[in-house]
Amino acid sequence: MCKVGIYLVCDYPDRSRFLEAIKLCDELGVDFLEIGIPFSDPTADGDTIERAALEVLEREGMDDFYDALKSAREIFNRKLYVMTYANVVYSNGIENFAKRFSFIDGVILADVPFRESKRFKDIFKKYGIGFVYFVTPETDFETLERIKASANDFIYFVSIRGTTGGEFCLDGDAINRLELLKESEQDVIIGFGIKTRNDVRKACKYADGVVIGTEAVKSLASDKLGEFLKSVID
Amino acid sequence: MKGYYGEYGGQFVAETLIGALDELEEAFKRFKKDRYARKELNDLFKNYAGRPTPLYYAKNLSDYLGCEVYLKREDLLHSGAHKLNNTLGQAILTKFMDKKRIIAETGAGQHGVATATAAALLGIECVVYMGKVDAKRQRPNLLRMRLLGADVRIVEKGSMTLKSAINEALRDWVRNVQNTHYILGSVVGPYPFPEIVAYFQSVIGKEAKRQILSQAKRLPDCVVACVGGGSNAIGVFKGFLKDDVELIGVEAGGESLELGRHSATLTEGKPGILHGALSYLLQDEFGQVVNVHSISAGLDYPGVGPEHSYLKNTGRVKYGVCFDNEALEGFKVLSRLEGIIPALESAHAVGYVVKSRDYFKGKTVVINISGRGDKDLGIIEALEGNGV
Repeated sequence: MCKVGIYLVCDYPDRSRFLEAIKLCDELGVDFLEIGIPFSDPTADGDTIERAALEVLEREGMDDFYDALKSAREIFNRKLYVMTYANVVYSNGIENFAKRFSFIDGVILADVPFRESKRFKDIFKKYGIGFVYFVTPETDFETLERIKASANDFIYFVSIRGTTGGEFCLDGDAINRLELLKESEQDVIIGFGIKTRNDVRKACKYADGVVIGTEAVKSLASDKLGEFLKSVID
Repeated sequence: MKGYYGEYGGQFVAETLIGALDELEEAFKRFKKDRYARKELNDLFKNYAGRPTPLYYAKNLSDYLGCEVYLKREDLLHSGAHKLNNTLGQAILTKFMDKKRIIAETGAGQHGVATATAAALLGIECVVYMGKVDAKRQRPNLLRMRLLGADVRIVEKGSMTLKSAINEALRDWVRNVQNTHYILGSVVGPYPFPEIVAYFQSVIGKEAKRQILSQAKRLPDCVVACVGGGSNAIGVFKGFLKDDVELIGVEAGGESLELGRHSATLTEGKPGILHGALSYLLQDEFGQVVNVHSISAGLDYPGVGPEHSYLKNTGRVKYGVCFDNEALEGFKVLSRLEGIIPALESAHAVGYVVKSRDYFKGKTVVINISGRGDKDLGIIEALEGNGV
């Protein structure tokens, strides 16, 4: 069983096509969704997602994203995550954010590494929102064990060095760490660079699932999300 | 807590960069203990860069303002600004870490030039990111970087100023972290950058203190420096933090204090997270970083170093504002009265003292002239035509 998660930029390309995409993901059996709340300075994202996010930010704000996510929650029947950057959550108080978005299952903050995560994780936990940790091919083994022990949601394995949208590969360092994560109680999900069913199969030899972002955003922009999903989901 | 100044600082970066930050911290520790490395840097400071830079008693300006003004002449440092203090130091750290490639961001171009200079000297490959707006308004520095052998990549995304350049440099670093060191140019970014940059820039304050004690036989009443990210200010303040000396950081007020028209982060912002650190930030009500403005490309940045946020909150440093037109006044006054053309960044410190002359009356003031103004002649010409 290999889970496939899809990342979409909130309200991209527009509200109605975004919500249609959510519906499609639900119907085609996508296992979980990550919805990106746009941030002005998305340093962990490559060109595709950055461009989409900045385009949405030109016309929308936090209240719009809240409405869109509320609707997405009603449409999508499996796990729903928010992926964004620390300041979007921090600026008006982490607790206020957690309270407002308590209907989501978990949160992923691209610029919050394990060592800075406590202040976020503890508050989200109070509202029943999971906090996703990252592991990379360079994560040291001591940190890896601590992450394994304290994870309360899936573990996001960053398969490549780089921003979103690069090429998928797993080197020795990556496989080494994935082997160690196998005994984790939480799912291990591989992200960054996954584009094809072949990538998915390769990743799932070592992990519980994958998340696909850039290719999903691209295919949605050209009205081909359905085709794309069918091409990657077994 | 490690990596924090009070509640500010931290390491808000992708997990991928954590290893590189630890490696950098380790290299920095080794550097501080290594007598030979420190000697190498001191030799470069003295024989290559031209340290110590003079502390100059500006008699004409003093007479004009009715106070005793001393200028710390970082504009006389090789490559034209204080930035070289940091890039020479970090270039030696790069060698320590055995990395073969250096990247940097630049706004005014001074940090880019200083990085390209250090890279040329030490024979290391160098890539500099510069926003399109800045590349245009600070063209002389673009040309200098290319002459020095740097690969200057123009950023045509976002604000196309310093902030966009840092975004791209961070992305490059994530991709190439194994062979690349990112030389950040200010006391911003994730720990240990604010600590390292402050350490290398503290030479300014150490010298200034020794020099003023020798020349004026006393400590100054005030030390004034401009603050964008805040490296020249931290550098000069470090010499006087423990003394009974008033420290004043001057932010760019731009055209007005309406959000979007200025870069006065500490004066008008609130705490937020950008480029790896929790610090004051100019942002909208939802945490989106806003566009900022300053006539000076080096101050045109929505964030500020976390140590400044801490120094503001503790009250040890006072932060004021100098508007574009006041900075231009400072620029002209210093040029005409002392024959010193300051960088537009440094002109904010001068302009602040000029506009607050009543406050400074009778006091002994050190102003840090962080850089020289050759790079800004195009801006002046565009504003005032050829009849400057």
